[in-house]
Amino acid sequence: MTIKTLIKKNYEKQPISNYPDYKSSILRSPKNKKISVPSSISELSGPVFNKNIIGNLDNDLTLNYSKNNKLPIGQKIIVHGRVLDQYYKPLEGVLIEIWQANAGGKYLHMKDKNNAAIDSNFAGCGRYITSSNGSYEFLTIQPGAYPYPNRGIEWRPMHIHFSIFGKSFGQRLITQMYFQGDPLIQFCPMVNSITDKKAKQSLVGSLDLTKSETDQLLAYKFDIILRGYNQTFFENRNEGL
Amino acid sequence: MSSLNNIYDDTPFQTAGPFLHIGCLPNSIGIKNIFKHDLGIIPFDRKENADFISISGSVFDGSGQALDDVMLESWQCDESGQYSSSQGFARFVPNDKTKKYNLKTVKPGSVKNSDGTIQSPHILISISSRGINMSLNTRIYFEGDDLSNDPLLSFVKDDDKVSTLIAKKVDEDNYNFDIYLQGDKETVFLDI
Repeated sequence: MTIKTLIKKNYEKQPISNYPDYKSSILRSPKNKKISVPSSISELSGPVFNKNIIGNLDNDLTLNYSKNNKLPIGQKIIVHGRVLDQYYKPLEGVLIEIWQANAGGKYLHMKDKNNAAIDSNFAGCGRYITSSNGSYEFLTIQPGAYPYPNRGIEWRPMHIHFSIFGKSFGQRLITQMYFQGDPLIQFCPMVNSITDKKAKQSLVGSLDLTKSETDQLLAYKFDIILRGYNQTFFENRNEGL
Repeated sequence: MSSLNNIYDDTPFQTAGPFLHIGCLPNSIGIKNIFKHDLGIIPFDRKENADFISISGSVFDGSGQALDDVMLESWQCDESGQYSSSQGFARFVPNDKTKKYNLKTVKPGSVKNSDGTIQSPHILISISSRGINMSLNTRIYFEGDDLSNDPLLSFVKDDDKVSTLIAKKVDEDNYNFDIYLQGDKETVFLDI
């Protein structure tokens, strides 16, 4: 028989959960070690979303909240890439949800206390289901950096939040994409909660000048890698033998 | 060639932050007319609600504060123990005033593993919020069920810890399940 399991998470490449430089993590990070459990059908299965839930403008944040076809304020950009597994196999049918601040660094959210203007033509949410080669694309506005209370007032680098559903609940990922060249990245404690340099770098979307030229819009490329599976073949045998 | 050399690192997590509703539950905060409806509002599309159970509780931080900016996601099988990719997923947040979440769903059945072992009825839970750098995974089991042969609980061993994974029965159809991120009652979190 073949036993399918999720490839174990490598915690050295993941953020440290209790990272005091990011104050909110202090009281919200468990103290005990996680208990490692083998993959069962519960973790290997998961919700899969049908492409018919996606509306025409769901991945166009410049138009999906526009009033009378007015564009939101700011630099129009394309964010695109592919979703792959750990063997670099493209994953089709993966739901990606994104959310972000507007060009002035303000979220359309009652709890955002940042003193910046709301853009009545920009909500900052989008979603997409990857196509056969695992690719996705969003048309949006360059999000602004913004101040937030941490150890005093600090600045979040420009970023877009990503939520990704693979084919199993164990593949679920929530992360953020940053922008190549943003000088604020190096000071951000949320970024720095990841100590591995390469892992940190993998969250930075790179400027894609080829696509920028073709599409005549500034483009950033951000590939996402979800957990893969180990398939181990066992000869059938009676237990205990 | 060793396949180990060809395994890429998966993309690291980052916190979902305090404004996750914009992307995950926009209609719930008044961002209407973009997505037809928010995902995971009902885990099972059933006409008759009579067989639903209700699970309520809070998520507490290390100071004992019940969080109101957390998002929970659940994944489960149906009453007969069958998983279906189109049903069984839910998303919910605590009520602003009571700080309690509520999940109305079917009581999951026992699940047969590929190796023949049987898992007791359970629901997978994933927790995301500001301050949680990597979403946390846990499970809900149910008071009153036979949990003695559950393969996962045998990894947890310590009875006090197992009890953090069991929803307390309030009455026939109602359960309470509080989640403690820290402290004496810290919930068991799983590396799945």
